[in-house]
Amino acid sequence: MSEEAKNPITEKIESTKGGHFYKEIMKDFRIKESLHGCLNCGTCVANCPAAAFYDYSPREVCQMMIEGDEETIEEYMKSKIWNCAQCFSCKYRCPKENSAADIVMTMREIAVREGLAAEALAGYTRIAKLVLTRGNQLAPDMLSPDAFPDWGPRMIELSSKKMEMREELFKGFPGMNVVDRAWAAEDFTIYEMQRIWEESGALEKVGTVFPFLVDIVQDDMDDKKEEMEAKIEAKKAKLAAAGK
Amino acid sequence: MKTVLVIGGGVTGLKASHELAEMGYNVSLVEKQDYLGGQVAKHKYYKLAPDMRLVSEVLDPVIKNVESNSNIKVHKHSTITSLSGNAPEFKVKIKNSKGESEESFGAIVVATGFEHFDPTVKQEYGYSRFKDVVTNAEVEELLNPNGPTKGELKRPSDGKIPKKVAIFQCVGSRDKQVGNPYCCRVGCVVSTKQAIEIKEKYPDTEVYVYYMDMRMFGRGWEELYGKAMEEYEVIFTRGRGAEVTLKNEQLSLRAEETIMDRPIQHSVDMIILAAGQAPGDGTIDAAKVLGIKQNEYGYLAPKDDFLSPNESSKAGIFIAGADKGPLDVENCIVEGAAVAAKVASSLK
Repeated sequence: MSEEAKNPITEKIESTKGGHFYKEIMKDFRIKESLHGCLNCGTCVANCPAAAFYDYSPREVCQMMIEGDEETIEEYMKSKIWNCAQCFSCKYRCPKENSAADIVMTMREIAVREGLAAEALAGYTRIAKLVLTRGNQLAPDMLSPDAFPDWGPRMIELSSKKMEMREELFKGFPGMNVVDRAWAAEDFTIYEMQRIWEESGALEKVGTVFPFLVDIVQDDMDDKKEEMEAKIEAKKAKLAAAGK
Repeated sequence: MKTVLVIGGGVTGLKASHELAEMGYNVSLVEKQDYLGGQVAKHKYYKLAPDMRLVSEVLDPVIKNVESNSNIKVHKHSTITSLSGNAPEFKVKIKNSKGESEESFGAIVVATGFEHFDPTVKQEYGYSRFKDVVTNAEVEELLNPNGPTKGELKRPSDGKIPKKVAIFQCVGSRDKQVGNPYCCRVGCVVSTKQAIEIKEKYPDTEVYVYYMDMRMFGRGWEELYGKAMEEYEVIFTRGRGAEVTLKNEQLSLRAEETIMDRPIQHSVDMIILAAGQAPGDGTIDAAKVLGIKQNEYGYLAPKDDFLSPNESSKAGIFIAGADKGPLDVENCIVEGAAVAAKVASSLK
């Protein structure tokens, strides 16, 4: 290898188009409608709420897919694409009718499938756990002073009284008098929901992002399954007896 | 038959009429307005790029050549309503306020030109919502000493001279969202020219041009672009103007500084939209009445873009100028002369 070939700038120019991730993304039916070349005019970035606050640029996403450099694509799938808010402003303003939001949506799905999303989604572990076990995505408990360093004394005080407040607000609705989830669904509803997680393959998909979480949830689910199925059997037997 | 009908009294139609009359043809020039000069006269264009020559120095002689030639009959305030017959004997009905009359012609020249794109449909720019968002055509009128402000760039809201002006390129051009993916061919040079005119008149006013590409392909255009940067300190920012809002009663624009890779917000006093070209109603009506082919954007389609650029899809009907696609004044005059030559050789 010559000295020149080792130059990091030159290496970048000699990018590798047509790698695995590039091919997987381009195979998706949405890409044909979402990428028609790019004028690099910046209309998408100017309108992008994510670009105003995060290290994210829809224009870069389009340019990256046009150039198709495998290393860059992998890097984006691991981090930058997760900053997009999926508001689709870019799609409705782009003079070439490109849609960086659709490209991002596709890339996210592939990132999850290919196991590239774990780090970017680590912050969502608690939400994922709550969805899998309780069927809610947020709980009053998640809103605590240590998660929100910008809270003032008034918010901290209110937050310490959330159970009392909910009891007062939702008198006569015992399902709402909880703070570890948004509301308490019936056991049978949770059982049905978890069957859907399993049957649809959603649990498996979550496992590619949060493998440790699925292990924990799985035990919980199995216990509940046994318990519920015993109850169902008992009810069936009772109904059968009554029918006779 | 040595009579020719020219439809459209803009620079192309005027030039074609004059050349044909000089060659001995009897020309009827039909113009729907009550003045000659087309869009150039309508919007009181003031100076021409790249020489900063007064428009009147070019337009006045072209009009005078037509009005003083006894071979040319000018029908102002007139339109054509029907066509019958074939080349070289067309019968055309010409309608004006007094009524309709039928005349015979050996050939027809369509020079119905363009109209400025109406930026109202680009709602995000706030044109017609914010008074100080104006088009480049309106700026021509403002800068013209014979215009409504006697040549002062007074902004419409309060009549003050703006201290910061932003010019948005490619409004209604290179934009699939409005169905015009083509380049307007004149926006870049007109904006540069207007930026220089503003800086010349008000050296303290800052002028920013938001562009995607500066397409300076015409005679002397690139040099004018250099001059704007070097001598007049016009600031060119590579990024398309994306949105205009009102913030503390001042216009605020959003764009991306694509070279520096960052989104920006910029408060200015006035925004000029470099509105592109679109086929005008005159062009669309003429195509309908004459039954000639248009392209996908509504412009008139030549029989062959390379080999017969001035012939329409119908024998004996010729097309020229900005009704075939976006064109600047200088090249419209060339087109007028070219079509005259083609008509003359076909009627020989």
